[in-house]
Amino acid sequence: MKLACVIHRFGTDFAGGSEGHCRGIALRLAERHDVTIVTTCAKDHISWQNEYPEGESMAGPLTVIRFPVVRMRSMHRFADISDVVFQGGAADDEEEQWFRENGPEAPALLDFLRERGGRFDRVLFWSFRYYQTFFGLPLVADRSVLVPTAEADPVVRMRASRRFFPRAAAFLFLTPEEQELVTEQSDGPLGPSAIIGSGLEPAAPAGGAPDRLVALGVRTPFVLYLGRIDPNKGCETLVRHFLRYSGDAQRDVQLVMAGPVNMPLPEHPLVKALGFVDEGIREALLSTASVLVVPSLFESLSLALLEGWNYGVPALVNARCAVLKGQSVRANGGLYYSNYDEFARELSFLLDHDALARELGRQGRAYVDREYRWPHVMDKVERFLEATGVSATAAGSGASRGSRAAR
Amino acid sequence: MRELGGEISSERRARMVARGGAPEYRDPELYARVEAIFRRVLDSRDHDALLVPELLDDADEYALQLRLRYASHRKVIGPFLLFVKRTVLLPLNRWLYEYSLENFRRQQRVNRLLFACIEELAIENAALRRDLEGRTPDRANRPA
Repeated sequence: MKLACVIHRFGTDFAGGSEGHCRGIALRLAERHDVTIVTTCAKDHISWQNEYPEGESMAGPLTVIRFPVVRMRSMHRFADISDVVFQGGAADDEEEQWFRENGPEAPALLDFLRERGGRFDRVLFWSFRYYQTFFGLPLVADRSVLVPTAEADPVVRMRASRRFFPRAAAFLFLTPEEQELVTEQSDGPLGPSAIIGSGLEPAAPAGGAPDRLVALGVRTPFVLYLGRIDPNKGCETLVRHFLRYSGDAQRDVQLVMAGPVNMPLPEHPLVKALGFVDEGIREALLSTASVLVVPSLFESLSLALLEGWNYGVPALVNARCAVLKGQSVRANGGLYYSNYDEFARELSFLLDHDALARELGRQGRAYVDREYRWPHVMDKVERFLEATGVSATAAGSGASRGSRAAR
Repeated sequence: MRELGGEISSERRARMVARGGAPEYRDPELYARVEAIFRRVLDSRDHDALLVPELLDDADEYALQLRLRYASHRKVIGPFLLFVKRTVLLPLNRWLYEYSLENFRRQQRVNRLLFACIEELAIENAALRRDLEGRTPDRANRPA
């Protein structure tokens, strides 16, 4: 099959998120298919500044075609239009403008899809909220497969989003909660879909380098947060809860936060922000953490949560995020909280009941083994692409709309 | 998890009573019902889809305007004034604008939550009234 994967930014610098998901799927699809990545020259997800060279290059088995971003994102303008649109009652052109301001605005990418999209059997789009998907998918709607990475935030409720979803020919969802959300919000019936999740390699047996953690000032026991340290990821509330807990419980437990810091953090001996960490440190953290906390309110799938379970770490997740609660319940791999009382009590429970906490971690790992190993995920993707009427002989002729039996 | 949830709720009730909360909370069953109502609001309700704003004559009149909208009624110098406001005054006062904006956003969240709570109580009341009316014999059929 000749496949195109359209994504807002692409590179080895992005381990997680939809970029990591796209790269993981594309590399594995390239073992059997001819895969082209259609993306922008942007690297920074805030400004969308052009940093990668424009044009065609190779990334292992993948052909990568990059298009320049014509306008960097103005956060003021973006915040203004977000306020208008999220308040409800915005006009259609204001909603459309939101997607333009969100970026990365790359009209040459749209021209490419318009002119050459028909040469691909299937065009897979990641993340409906970005310019290239919102404006690009309708140009190749008949062969489009949308990986929406939708979260229960105001964007999914916009009229423009509701009208957009039925235009995709097929869907690959990350969780049942995401599928339910998009189905609920869609203005019309959706095409065939499959829930694929994301793949993980088995955890490294050696467990990284614990001595490097000591050098970084990390002490056991500690509670681990993995990912971007950002108010949008629930980190402000997490830090507030944790500091209050430290005072109330009088426990010498650190909160270790590993990821790029996008918000001010308090100077406190029990809050340790490590910034971006390399793979060795990450493995060491996951091998020694007592609890992994996931405080985000909006997720389509938490890779950090799966990574924690991959290492047998019990989780404490925000119950107000249906996806996190759903994952946690399905795996029986952790506890969930919806306020400070629950956060404090459950954290104490996990720290005080070592055997039970480890059992939860083991159950989480068993869940990852069952559902989130790459061969299993790719088997679902391949079977879905076949079941939706795509065949190797269809190259250049356009794929027909698939059967709904793939659901 | 359920056991732990029960313990947390019990402790919360005891704390509320100790701090001088509603005396009705001395009754654990009553407290559990009250908590369940508020939990429904917080966990299950979509705070963007509420009835009261739909019933208002003009919902915009009651909505917080988060965005600063510049306008001028002066035809000739209006565009110049708007240009000065946008390019000179707004950058100077951006910090104050953003501080206020964040607080307006919080206020809006509180407002929506309160509307949702009131709606939940109205639903509860309506359902109870319907049940009660179903149980009460129709007045018309009562013997004189």
